[in-house]
Amino acid sequence: MDEDLITWFCAYTPLELLTAAGLKPVRSFGDPDRIDDSDAFLHPAICPYVRSCLAQAMQEEGPHHAVFVNSCDGMRRLHDAWKDLFPDGFVFLLDLPRNVGKSGERMLAGEYRHLLEALRSWRGREISHAEIKAACRAREELRREYIRAAEGAGGGERLLLARHFQSAPQDAASPAATRGPAATAPGAGRGVPVLLTGNILNPAGMVSLLEEAGARVVWADLCNGDRAFAAPTLAEGESLGEVLGALAAAYLARPHCARMLDGERRHRTLVENALRAGARGIIYASLKFCDSYLYEYPRTREMLQREGIPVLRLESDYADGHAGQVLTRVEAFLEMIS
Amino acid sequence: MELLEQIKERYLDRLSPATFRSRLFWKTVEGLALSPLNRPQWKADRVSLAYFLRATRDAYLHRAPVVWCNLLTPSELVLGSGCIPFYPEMAAAVAASAGLAPRFIDRAAEEEFPSDACSYHRCLLGCALEGFLPEPDLLLAVNYPCDSAPLSFAFLGDLYRAPLFVLEAPLPGRERGVEELAGRMAEAARAMAGLSGRREREMMEGLSTAVELSNRALRHLREVEEMRKRDDCTLDGKDAMGNVSVLAGCLGSQAGADFYRLLAEELRERGCRGKNGLRIMWMHLKPWYSQTIFQILEKHGARLVCEEYTHATWEAMDPRDPFPSLARKLGGHFLVGAAERRVSHLVRLAREYRVDGAIHYNHWGCRQSCGSAPLAKGALQRAGVPTLIIDGDCIDDREYQEGQVATRLEAFLESLK
Ligand code: SF4
Ligand code: SF4
Repeated sequence: MDEDLITWFCAYTPLELLTAAGLKPVRSFGDPDRIDDSDAFLHPAICPYVRSCLAQAMQEEGPHHAVFVNSCDGMRRLHDAWKDLFPDGFVFLLDLPRNVGKSGERMLAGEYRHLLEALRSWRGREISHAEIKAACRAREELRREYIRAAEGAGGGERLLLARHFQSAPQDAASPAATRGPAATAPGAGRGVPVLLTGNILNPAGMVSLLEEAGARVVWADLCNGDRAFAAPTLAEGESLGEVLGALAAAYLARPHCARMLDGERRHRTLVENALRAGARGIIYASLKFCDSYLYEYPRTREMLQREGIPVLRLESDYADGHAGQVLTRVEAFLEMIS
Repeated sequence: MELLEQIKERYLDRLSPATFRSRLFWKTVEGLALSPLNRPQWKADRVSLAYFLRATRDAYLHRAPVVWCNLLTPSELVLGSGCIPFYPEMAAAVAASAGLAPRFIDRAAEEEFPSDACSYHRCLLGCALEGFLPEPDLLLAVNYPCDSAPLSFAFLGDLYRAPLFVLEAPLPGRERGVEELAGRMAEAARAMAGLSGRREREMMEGLSTAVELSNRALRHLREVEEMRKRDDCTLDGKDAMGNVSVLAGCLGSQAGADFYRLLAEELRERGCRGKNGLRIMWMHLKPWYSQTIFQILEKHGARLVCEEYTHATWEAMDPRDPFPSLARKLGGHFLVGAAERRVSHLVRLAREYRVDGAIHYNHWGCRQSCGSAPLAKGALQRAGVPTLIIDGDCIDDREYQEGQVATRLEAFLESLK
């Protein structure tokens, strides 16, 4: 096993710092088919993505280095179980503010310092602000590459591309080696245009079902979709403090997931994206047991109703073995908006 | 619970949001509470009952600005700023005790809050949607113990068009984070003082008095804890568990200090009951609508000698420096951060209270407690404490499998003998 590989889970992970430390960050997508393997460590009413990630790690040889973000109860519990199961790995829990704005930026920059300190004592070397800036530039190159590749691609394909860009081992030295699969965009331009919003979806599950039903996902507002690539995380500055401050600000300026507090901005971005991409409706699809998206739905629905944008709510168990059951609902929704 | 029964009997068929806003209703309730028939057995409980009745009445009648809080919101901060803290999660527990929770949970489902979320929050959301709760002027949530409060409060902030403050407790070891939290608390206190009309000086005086009173409560709580460690302590955890509301909602008030002083005094007076039996620790909360579990415990001569949420987990604070003090108190809570802290808190309790076994009540939808239950169980077992995890729901009795719970509990208690 490559000692430089480090697993990450949440889209708020500052990959630039990991790359700057000479690591190869790889996002885990878990193994939804073996989710039950995690039962003894994580309650079945916890996010299936989180449980799938643990289940997959349990099948793999060490060293199980991982960075967790304290983004929700589920992620925190994944961190706890992981640390308990794999005590030899480098395991770090990075805090994430809910309050955006200056205080949030300060807090997040402080967290980056803690992460750097932990990385320094693990790797035995300092990480300079020049290395971080270089890693930011390499990330930005990758982000642009994703955007180019995803141009005109369908929903399932966008998610596969995103998965590739998030989970192929990448380091600052060889970003180009990670070029993703070319988008063949079958059926591009066909189907009812919809915007998909939610947390993490399985490209082989719910998303392909939507396409089967006749939807064309024009924007995947998912943390394993377009959202993670929607804005740069380029940081500049002449000192470590400046660079970390800029990086924190950049992460907090990206389109947010529902766990953040500025619902108003999130709603505005959602509507803007739907209009820009020509979506006729919004499909709000999230993983079961994800409180952030579960509590957020009634507010989003209200807001979309006010804006006159139709919305359909779906839930996924990540493996999506029974996703076919919602086919009729999806078809009826598409018919209504087409 | 007799008081609740009587209120239900009189008002159930005409229960409406307006009922709670009528002075007559509160007069009747206070009258009923004073009746010797309804008087709680413990003097301390009389104090907390009177306090909560008064505070709830004042919140409904809007006698001062109302601030909605979650379990870890420091009541000292709200009281010191001249506002009434209102804990809707406790309102959900009261609704459950009165058998009214399903109605409100169904109302939340109509709004599309699905059954996978914590029923404390679904119940309180339903109550709010039906207009049964006192309108907040501000909402003040802490980002722990769970995600439910900041998230459902965001919905409620929109519903009531009231500002929401979220206090973010930092992870352990983040000293700068404690300073930031203190700053955020000061900001929230100023917003609350703005509502109550307190000037800066009055607010600071109010806060320092609140911290002083909280310190007094802490001193007496420590005495209570020492006495509860004795074999012959007369206080049973099934009753003491309700004190979670005192710890959450009364600290910073005279009632909070009186409550623990009286409890300590009375424990000293009542002394020995001379009963030996199984000593059990309870983790997370209980089903508020049913007594069966406790009847089974009693049948097996088992007693709850400690509960997860009712203990002192902080040091005395500096009344001259309320914000940093309160920030440290909150930041040091065992539910803040990774599960390690919760687990070591539980192992410490198990050791100090010399328990024979421990029960974790898995409240459906509570990712924080169910999520770390396997780790807690593992650590307790390693410490030689047999541990049972039972699945259930604290609020929604429709999700409670009484037969199944009873069978597992009986088997567990048998195995401890
Ligand atoms: S949904 Fe949000 S909190 Fe969860 S992994 Fe994605 S970005 Fe992180
Ligand atoms: S039961 Fe759990 S999820 Fe519900 S309010 Fe309490 S801590 Fe939060």
